[in-house]
Amino acid sequence: MNLLKAGRWITALGLVLLAGVYVRALAFTPIERTQGVAQKIFYLHVPAAIWTETAMILVGLASAFFLFLKDPRLDRFAEASAEAGIVFGSIVLTTGPIWGKPIWGTWWTWDARLTLTLLLFLMYVGYLLLRGAVTDAGLRARYAAVLGICGACLVPFVHLSVIMFRTLHPQPIILKPGPPSLPAEMLVTFLLSFGVFTMLYVGFVMQRYALSLLREEAQHA
Amino acid sequence: MPENTPYMVAAYCITAVILLAYAVFLYRRTLKP
Repeated sequence: MNLLKAGRWITALGLVLLAGVYVRALAFTPIERTQGVAQKIFYLHVPAAIWTETAMILVGLASAFFLFLKDPRLDRFAEASAEAGIVFGSIVLTTGPIWGKPIWGTWWTWDARLTLTLLLFLMYVGYLLLRGAVTDAGLRARYAAVLGICGACLVPFVHLSVIMFRTLHPQPIILKPGPPSLPAEMLVTFLLSFGVFTMLYVGFVMQRYALSLLREEAQHA
Repeated sequence: MPENTPYMVAAYCITAVILLAYAVFLYRRTLKP
């Protein structure tokens, strides 16, 4: 299957390029003055966070269109995007506390951004558990679509939580009105990392979508 | 700040492990759907 092969190649290329991003971030990007080398966690944490949020928005959009159009391709895409989103979500929820310990002095605090991000992650878990629990394909797609839309509604609150509430989490550096507040060398490293995470998201979703197709074909055979 | 180095190394290693593990998991699942 072409989609599966293309997904595998894109994922493999993404993983190779990730090694390149590691080299650039660790050896060729300046060390931030106040946070020291712990700031370099930013180059992984933020792209993963952007894709955690974007994947859920895409799940919500595909789900909303699915409820109107009843096109199984949209349901397959929503499932694939949710599974990729949970991978990036687990990176966000591990690298965040690892950064927080040396900078804040604590692994975790129940402030708005952290708590809402955890809630978004649990939404992903609930979404995939629901899909696993319902055996009827039509009902599964419809129930999952409703939960997917609820998950997407949570994303703006996650993103704007640092503005809406008083929080320990840093204010947006990249996704904000006005230019990014980063020196050029750091911005290039961030953009390269974001590009690689985008490739990995695309590769994961293509493979996961192809897997759903293969399973459906196997069931009908 | 060299005392921060273990945290950075841990974050980079965990990210690589999560992404590699999922890539391998996905590859194996697509071999036997």
